[in-house]
Amino acid sequence: MSSHAGAEPRVRRLIGTGGKDLRRRSLRSLTGKGVTYALLLAVALVELVPIMWIVSTSLRMPGESYDLPPDFLPTSFRWQNYRNVFMSTRIDYPLFFLNSLKIALVVTAGQLFTCSMAGFAYARLRFRGREAMFLLFLASMMVPVTVVVIPYFITVKYLGLVDTHWALILPGLSSAFGVFLLRQHFLSLPGELVDAAKIDGASFFRIYWNILLPMVTPALASLGIFGFLAAWNDFYYPSLFLRTFDKYTLPIALVLLKGYMGTGSIAEILAAIVLSMVPIMIVFLVAQDYVIEAMSRSGLKG
Amino acid sequence: MKRGTEAKPRAPISKMRLHESLWGYLMQAPALLIVTAFILLPIVVSLVLAFTEYDLLTPPEWTDTANFLRLASDRRLWKSFRNTVAVALGGVIGNNVIGFLLAIGVNRAMSKALKYFLRAALFFPVLTTGSSLALVWRYIFGTDRGALNWVLGQIGIESIPWLTSGEWSLRSVILYRIWRGIGMTMVVYLAGLQGIPKDIYEAAKIDGAGSWRLTSRITLPLITPSVFFSLIMGFMSEFQVFEGSYVLTTGGPGDASRTIAVYLYEVAFRRFEMGYGASIAFVLLLLLVCLTMLQFWVGNRWVYYE
Repeated sequence: MSSHAGAEPRVRRLIGTGGKDLRRRSLRSLTGKGVTYALLLAVALVELVPIMWIVSTSLRMPGESYDLPPDFLPTSFRWQNYRNVFMSTRIDYPLFFLNSLKIALVVTAGQLFTCSMAGFAYARLRFRGREAMFLLFLASMMVPVTVVVIPYFITVKYLGLVDTHWALILPGLSSAFGVFLLRQHFLSLPGELVDAAKIDGASFFRIYWNILLPMVTPALASLGIFGFLAAWNDFYYPSLFLRTFDKYTLPIALVLLKGYMGTGSIAEILAAIVLSMVPIMIVFLVAQDYVIEAMSRSGLKG
Repeated sequence: MKRGTEAKPRAPISKMRLHESLWGYLMQAPALLIVTAFILLPIVVSLVLAFTEYDLLTPPEWTDTANFLRLASDRRLWKSFRNTVAVALGGVIGNNVIGFLLAIGVNRAMSKALKYFLRAALFFPVLTTGSSLALVWRYIFGTDRGALNWVLGQIGIESIPWLTSGEWSLRSVILYRIWRGIGMTMVVYLAGLQGIPKDIYEAAKIDGAGSWRLTSRITLPLITPSVFFSLIMGFMSEFQVFEGSYVLTTGGPGDASRTIAVYLYEVAFRRFEMGYGASIAFVLLLLLVCLTMLQFWVGNRWVYYE
C-alpha cells in the first residue's frame, strides 16, 4: 500500500516531464518546419519571379513592359502579341520552331543510341583496352567547348558544312556524359541477367536491345532530356554557323526579333520566348521524377 | 593494363571471347568516333594551331612561341582571367552552399505536391535558354527603371548601377550565375541525400543525436561524393561562362566583366586570329586539367566512400 503510494508521484513526475519535453520539442520542430518552408518558398519565388515576369509581360501592351512598380502577375491578356509573333514578316516563327525541333530530335535520338551502346559495351562486355577507352571518355568530359571550337570551326568550313544543320547535329550525336551515365546504370543491373542470356545463346546485341535497355529507362529519359535541352537552347554554335534566314533556330530568332523590333515591342520578344519554353517545360514536368532517379542511381561512385 | 587481374580465358571459350570483343569494339565505335572527331582530334589541332598565325583566308604560318609570349603580356587576357576566376569561385561557392541547403529542405518530409512544386520552380531557370533569361535580367538589373533597384528603393537602399559600373558588373554576372545554377546543384545534392539509408538516421536518433549532430556527423560525410561531383562539374562550367557575361554586359563596361570565353570568342571570331585564340584555349585547357587533378588529389583526403 505505502510502496504503491510512494511510486505514484514518481510515475506522475516521469509522465509530466516527458509530456513537457515532448511538447517543447514538437513546438521547436514546428517553428523549425515553418522557417524551413518559408525560406524554401522565398528562394523558389526568387527563381520563379523573372520567369513569371516573362509570361505576364508577354501579355501586356508593349508600352507597359517596363512599368514600375513591376507586376509579376498578368494584368491583362493581350494574345495579339502572340499572334504577332506568328504573323511577323520579319521572322518565320513556325519554320524556326521546326528547325529547332528537327535538330534537337535528331541529336537526342543519336545520343540515346550511341551512348547506350557504348555504355553497355563498357559495362558488360569484356575486351582489350576497355578501361583505357572509357578513361578517354571521362577525360573528354572535362574539355570545354571553348577549347575545341576553333578547330571545329575550321573543320566545318573545310567540309563545306557552314550554314547547314549538319554543323550543329554532328558533334551532338554522342556525349561523353551520356556514355558515363549509361555505363553506371548498366553496371547497377545484376550481372546474372547477362550470363543467363549468354547461356541461352542470345546475341550480344539482343542482350543489349531486348533485355538490358528496357531496364535503364530512367537513365535514357534523363539523358534524353539533357540532350534535347542542350540542343534546343544552344546559342553558341548556331550563331557561329548559320547564315541563311530559313536555317535559323529559335534562340537565334529571338535575337533577330530583338534586333528588328528593338525599340518598342519587348512584349512580342517575350511572347516568342514563352513559346520556345513550352516544349521543354512539358517534357520536364512529365519526366521530373525520372531525372532525379537517374541522377541518384548514376551513383557518382564509379 | 587491367589484363593481369582478369582470369585468363581457356581455349574452349576463346571463340566466345573473341566474339564478345568484336561486339565490344563494334558497339562503342559510333560514340568513340564522334568523341574522337569532335573533341580529341580538335585538341591536337588546337595545340598545333597555337604555334601559328592563321586568319582562315591565308594558310597558317608557323610562328614558334610568339603566341605564348604575347599571352604573357596581354593585359586584357589577364583581366578576363581574373574575372573568370572570380565568377568561378563566386558561382561555385554560392551554387553549392545554397543548393545544398535547398536540397536538405526539399528532402524533408512534406506533402508531395509542395515537393513537386519546389523542385520544378527551382529547376526552371536551368531549363530555359540562357540568352532569353539574360535578356530578362538586363531589365531586372537596370539602373533607373530596373525591378531590383525599385525593390531596394522601397527599403531605402540607393539604386545600384548593376551592369553599368566597373565595380558592380562582375558581381551581377556572379549573381545571375548563382540564380541560374542552384537548381542543378540542388538536384545533385537531392540525389545524394536520397541515397543515404534511412536506418542510419534512426539508429543515431535512438542514441540521442540532435538534428545538428545528424547533419554534421551523418549527412555531411555521406554526401561528400555529391559535393565532389558538384564541385568538379561546377568549376568546369563556370570556367567557360559565355552567355552570362556576353548577353548581360558584353563583357563591359571596359573589360570589367569579360570572361575568358568571351575574350576568346572575340579574338577568334571577331578578329579572326585563330592561332592566338588557340593558344588561349590551350592555356585554359591546361588550367582546367591542373585544377581538376588538384581537386581529385585533395578529394582523396576528404571524400568519404563507403
